[in-house]
Amino acid sequence: MSESAVRPRRWTRVEYDKLIETGFLGPGDKIELLGGQLCVSEPQNNPHARAISLGLETLQRALAPGWHVRVQLPIALDTESEPEPDLAVVSGGPRDYTDHPSRPALVVEVADSSLALDREHKGSLYARARMPEYWIVNLVGWVLEVYREPGLDAGAQYGWAYRVLLTLRADEQVTPLAAPSARIPVADLLP
Amino acid sequence: MSESAIRTRRWSRVEYDRLIEEGVFQPGERLELLAGQLVVREPQGTPHATGIRLLTRALREVFAEDRWIVDMQLPVALDEESEPEPDVTVTAGNPRDFLPSHPARPVLVVEVAEASLALDREEKGSLYARARVPEYWILNLRDRVLEVYREPHPDPSSPHGWAYRSRQNLAAGEHVTPSAAPTARIAVTNLMP
Repeated sequence: MSESAVRPRRWTRVEYDKLIETGFLGPGDKIELLGGQLCVSEPQNNPHARAISLGLETLQRALAPGWHVRVQLPIALDTESEPEPDLAVVSGGPRDYTDHPSRPALVVEVADSSLALDREHKGSLYARARMPEYWIVNLVGWVLEVYREPGLDAGAQYGWAYRVLLTLRADEQVTPLAAPSARIPVADLLP
Repeated sequence: MSESAIRTRRWSRVEYDRLIEEGVFQPGERLELLAGQLVVREPQGTPHATGIRLLTRALREVFAEDRWIVDMQLPVALDEESEPEPDVTVTAGNPRDFLPSHPARPVLVVEVAEASLALDREEKGSLYARARVPEYWILNLRDRVLEVYREPHPDPSSPHGWAYRSRQNLAAGEHVTPSAAPTARIAVTNLMP
């Protein structure tokens, strides 16, 4: 299918939520709305699942009270995106949100086969929504990729990209912007 | 969008029909379901619209209305994951035959192509061939020819694994005889806007 020829129908977040309410999409559908497209998520293997559990535990330990970590729950990112990042750090407690949170301080994706999607596609979407910090736990390269400073970038998928990329190895440490006094060993995040 | 990285949700025809019934789409949206993908149709210019009218008139002269339906831009239940709305279709039967479900087996499908030429040739051509539509025309306004495709056959290099074996390009001044109306002769000139 030559891409110039086919224009896929784009969904808004409001329509997407309606698809869920009316039962077209159920809990068994592994779908995320990304830039208007209903994207099918890859099945999760065991290292992926382990990395999520480790990330959850590690972040909860590192963060001061006043934050909580959500696991694979929807983010109201923009009018045509409702991703479910592997981890999202949001302010307040779970009861503070009657709608999906839209402004996490940190989003984390664990990537093996999805690395290209997480870097190019989601990275640009998160940057466009001005997420201040985005991590990829890269199971292929066994590193943590830390993205910061969203900025305009005409070459990126959605016109935005992160200006700063730190690639941290297992023996290095990371300090989330939301927890300036924390020093998290990258090894704690790798499964 | 690198296609390898993204897999979008595919819809079945049954789901698509339910989405329409439930009023999920915006009023006036022009969509087609092609191989599980919801595709937005291009806006139509007057040459495109004129081509459709000329085709419809010519085909209605050839296909008698007591036995045939000549439709403009109505849904075809092509396969489990496709419900296109071709510019013109010819189907055996009467209108009420298709009250329970859209026609599934047109004898002729026609698309009028300007900007959509690549889509109509590759994507739709392969879909129609896969559904064994015996004859497919593209009224190619860009080159002012009628492309006549026949004999669907498996072709692994095509987007949907099927293609038409025979293709004829008929210029103005030539005539076309639809396979389903072997005695008819339609002047290609009469189809060109």
